[in-house]
Amino acid sequence: MPYLCKDCRYYLPVDVFTGICKITRAKLTPDDAFCEKSEKIPKCKFCEHFTPERDYLGLCMGNTLCYPDLVAAKCADFTWEKQP
Amino acid sequence: MNDHDLSTTSYYGDQPGELISDREPKPEPSLRAKKARDLYFEAKSSASMEFPYWYTRRWDELDGEIPVIRRAEALKAGFEHLTPVIYPGELLAMGKASYLRGSYPMPWLSEAFFMAAEDKLYREAQESGKLTADRFTTMGKGGGNVTKSTGNVISIAGKFGLRVEEMPAMLEVAKKWKDRSVDDIGHKYEQMVPGYKEKEALMRSVICMFDSGYTLPQGREVINYYYPLQFGISGIIRNCEESLTEAAGYPSMDRLYFFKAVIIVLEGIQKWIRNYAGEAHLMASLAVEEKERTELLEMAGRLEWLSENSPRSFHDALQLNWIFHVAVLNEDAISGLSPGRVGQILYPFWQRDMKNGVIDREKTLELLEIMRVKFTEIDCFASMGVVGGVLSGNTFNNLCLGGLQKDGTSATNELELLILQAGITCDTPQPTLSVLYDEKLPEEFLLKGVECTKIGTGYPAWVNNRVAMEFLQSNYGHEGLDVEEARAWSIGGCLETSPGSWMPLELDGEIHWIPGGSAPATSVGVHFLSLPKLLEVALFDGMDMRTGERIFPSHGYRMENYEEIWNAFKDYFSRACHLLTLTNNIQHDAWRKISPSLVNSLLKPDCLATGKDIGQMGSRYNTTFNIETCGTANLINSLAALKKNIFTEHIFSLDDYRNALLANFGYKNALESGSYSLVDQVPTPDYDHWKKIHKASLDAPKFGNDNPFVDSIMKAWEEWFCSMAHNYRSLYDQPMYACQISVSTHGPMGAVTLAGADGRLSGTTFSDGSVSAYPGTDRNGPYALFNSATCWNHSLSQNSQLNLKIHPSVVKGREGSRKFLELIRAYLRKGGFHVQFNIVDSRMLRQAQSEPEKYRSLLVRVAGFTQYWVELGKQIQDEVIARTEYEAL
Repeated sequence: MPYLCKDCRYYLPVDVFTGICKITRAKLTPDDAFCEKSEKIPKCKFCEHFTPERDYLGLCMGNTLCYPDLVAAKCADFTWEKQP
Repeated sequence: MNDHDLSTTSYYGDQPGELISDREPKPEPSLRAKKARDLYFEAKSSASMEFPYWYTRRWDELDGEIPVIRRAEALKAGFEHLTPVIYPGELLAMGKASYLRGSYPMPWLSEAFFMAAEDKLYREAQESGKLTADRFTTMGKGGGNVTKSTGNVISIAGKFGLRVEEMPAMLEVAKKWKDRSVDDIGHKYEQMVPGYKEKEALMRSVICMFDSGYTLPQGREVINYYYPLQFGISGIIRNCEESLTEAAGYPSMDRLYFFKAVIIVLEGIQKWIRNYAGEAHLMASLAVEEKERTELLEMAGRLEWLSENSPRSFHDALQLNWIFHVAVLNEDAISGLSPGRVGQILYPFWQRDMKNGVIDREKTLELLEIMRVKFTEIDCFASMGVVGGVLSGNTFNNLCLGGLQKDGTSATNELELLILQAGITCDTPQPTLSVLYDEKLPEEFLLKGVECTKIGTGYPAWVNNRVAMEFLQSNYGHEGLDVEEARAWSIGGCLETSPGSWMPLELDGEIHWIPGGSAPATSVGVHFLSLPKLLEVALFDGMDMRTGERIFPSHGYRMENYEEIWNAFKDYFSRACHLLTLTNNIQHDAWRKISPSLVNSLLKPDCLATGKDIGQMGSRYNTTFNIETCGTANLINSLAALKKNIFTEHIFSLDDYRNALLANFGYKNALESGSYSLVDQVPTPDYDHWKKIHKASLDAPKFGNDNPFVDSIMKAWEEWFCSMAHNYRSLYDQPMYACQISVSTHGPMGAVTLAGADGRLSGTTFSDGSVSAYPGTDRNGPYALFNSATCWNHSLSQNSQLNLKIHPSVVKGREGSRKFLELIRAYLRKGGFHVQFNIVDSRMLRQAQSEPEKYRSLLVRVAGFTQYWVELGKQIQDEVIARTEYEAL
């Protein structure tokens, strides 16, 4: 899966179109590609409790609606998915 | 008047010079504020799903729980999961959502308007008339509005952008609220009101603009910052824990649940603040410059401290106020949550910091400028009809200055001068400013206010302290409001007179009486009633001739004299008030049961003392429901034209008028011409046939010219309306009262209204405010307008609204300032309640309309609010351009 700036913990969203890199202060878009300094931010799609369903939707713990791009940094149950 | 009037701006005094005059030059903001504002200019309104997702998830987990506890837990989940964002250079942290202009849908209130057009929920809402106003609203095409979907961004309500990856979640979460939202539950029960179908017809015809119970259930009120400032969050929690033990097991058990709910939601707010503190630490670790690192670490320390404690400094207090301001905004869809008399509330903290050398004026000014940018970032997620048609994208956070202290002396202070200065250097739409004018206010302060108004910010508006106090004592006296408490008032929203209370802030052993809001939302009840449309329907015996739908049963009058027209209008107006009062009471009842206010309630005296939220009348004052109207000058001018041309001079018959109105006096409709004022209208080939009656209509006496014939009609209307409004009872069984502001409703309401007997054309925007003249019809100068506007007693109504447009050259320099202040004084001394100004050359507005990209920062005053020109819809832009420009005072 190619990671994008919107998946990075150093991405500071200004609006739905643009953001700022917290490290370099460069202007970015959420759909720009990861750079060498990027680090993933906890999101549902990176959580081992996440099961993808149809486009942009999924289940948490197999039974609760969630969506892959939901930031889960403050979710008590977030657990990084195990890398294959 | 002659034909020429249809194609140009009207001037009072000489025509302006050849060159377009700019406003007076003004000083720049601090570099930090400038950068923050520049970032704001780049940012688009953006919606996200974080808060509603977690809110809904927690709500569903607690099925069967006590409703207020369930609500508190859901809010807590929303707060504690919000992703913190801190932008470069910020001194005040935190915001509604994780975007600079962030907001989010609240499907627990209403879920239909943001569904796809083909969705069943959306179609049902449309059929019931709830979304008709959306179709007749023009959104601003520039600035921060996301007007169309592009790439990975979906446009909602013509304003908010939502990332495509959040769209399915938004729809799924919204569907979870079907039949459970305030909107749906309220709708289920409002149908039990006898004659309900008539209410839907009223909405479809846009005689009424919108329901209030599920759209903007809170707001148009003044927040109260006292408890956090005095006790800190942990202090409030401790008080609630004590109260809770005293309530457990005793009668009035709702107190137990309320105190518990307050504790829960405050714990969520504490977590939210600490999450921001954590983010400040992260940002500090990434900062390259030492100064920035230090500031971010100070921010982190400040937030950690404020998550528990009362403020130690002015900066702390400003930050804590902001936190609670946003926290209230995050519990409901709210417009017009006014911060109130901030300069007086924070003065004790500032005075102490100044004395101890903790802060200086320069630093204070910078903080106040940053505060302005933060308030300007607030967006309210609502339907197009509400966010565009009513609010014009504005959120109406009114900061008031002046007025009187508890002991009746002038309340203004040096901090208020700095607030005015920040309004000059960092001119932004929020917070808008209002001066509570009193004869006791010092000249230096008043001249500073004038200096600010005349640079063209549109603020401060000038409001009459004496008239407001009289209104409050008349309408809240039965709840115990006395003259001393009346002095604590402030403006809620754009212009809603709101009661306040004096709270004893203890600092270093000294008591400072600070004012704050002491009542729940105003401008809930009947919103808004289109006076010209009601007259139109009366002339056509209950029919909406635009749609062919019958709205009311036949009124039964033969209309053979003026009194019968007047009576038919009054009958329909009363009928609409009756129905809409009942249906909105039901909606608000659904709101207080399903989605009770907790954050706002814990702040408002005396909810924490009584253990009741604001929906249970926990506030000190509760007589806040009102009946709001729009299009006053058009109603009055139309009645005057009918009276003169049909019944006095017998030039035309009523049928002549009916036919002329249906034919739009031989012009194309505004939707075809693309012009929403009388300027630039396009005649049809039939124009000559209607020319005579149109000219006679335009030539009939117009309100705003000190003409006794018209002013007597105005006086009769006002005295009848302000009296009959008391006949209706709110949800809280309190009498309602008149509220007379247009906000932006005069655009969409004009769009669905046929031509008027006053000569106004079909689809064009009504006059703004309630005592403003119709654009271009005030020809006898400002003092004639003042005489007309004050032909009735303004303290009978919650407000009245007067707009004037003055050419910059008229108020130029120190002499211009003095002349300007005398003009304001003259109006307020005559008993006018409110006056506000656009200081602008109309030709600049025309230029800005054709080249919006060159005017991103141009501010104008609309009706109770200042907004960026580029974020206004064309309906309102055209009306502002067409207003008479005063070239002389």
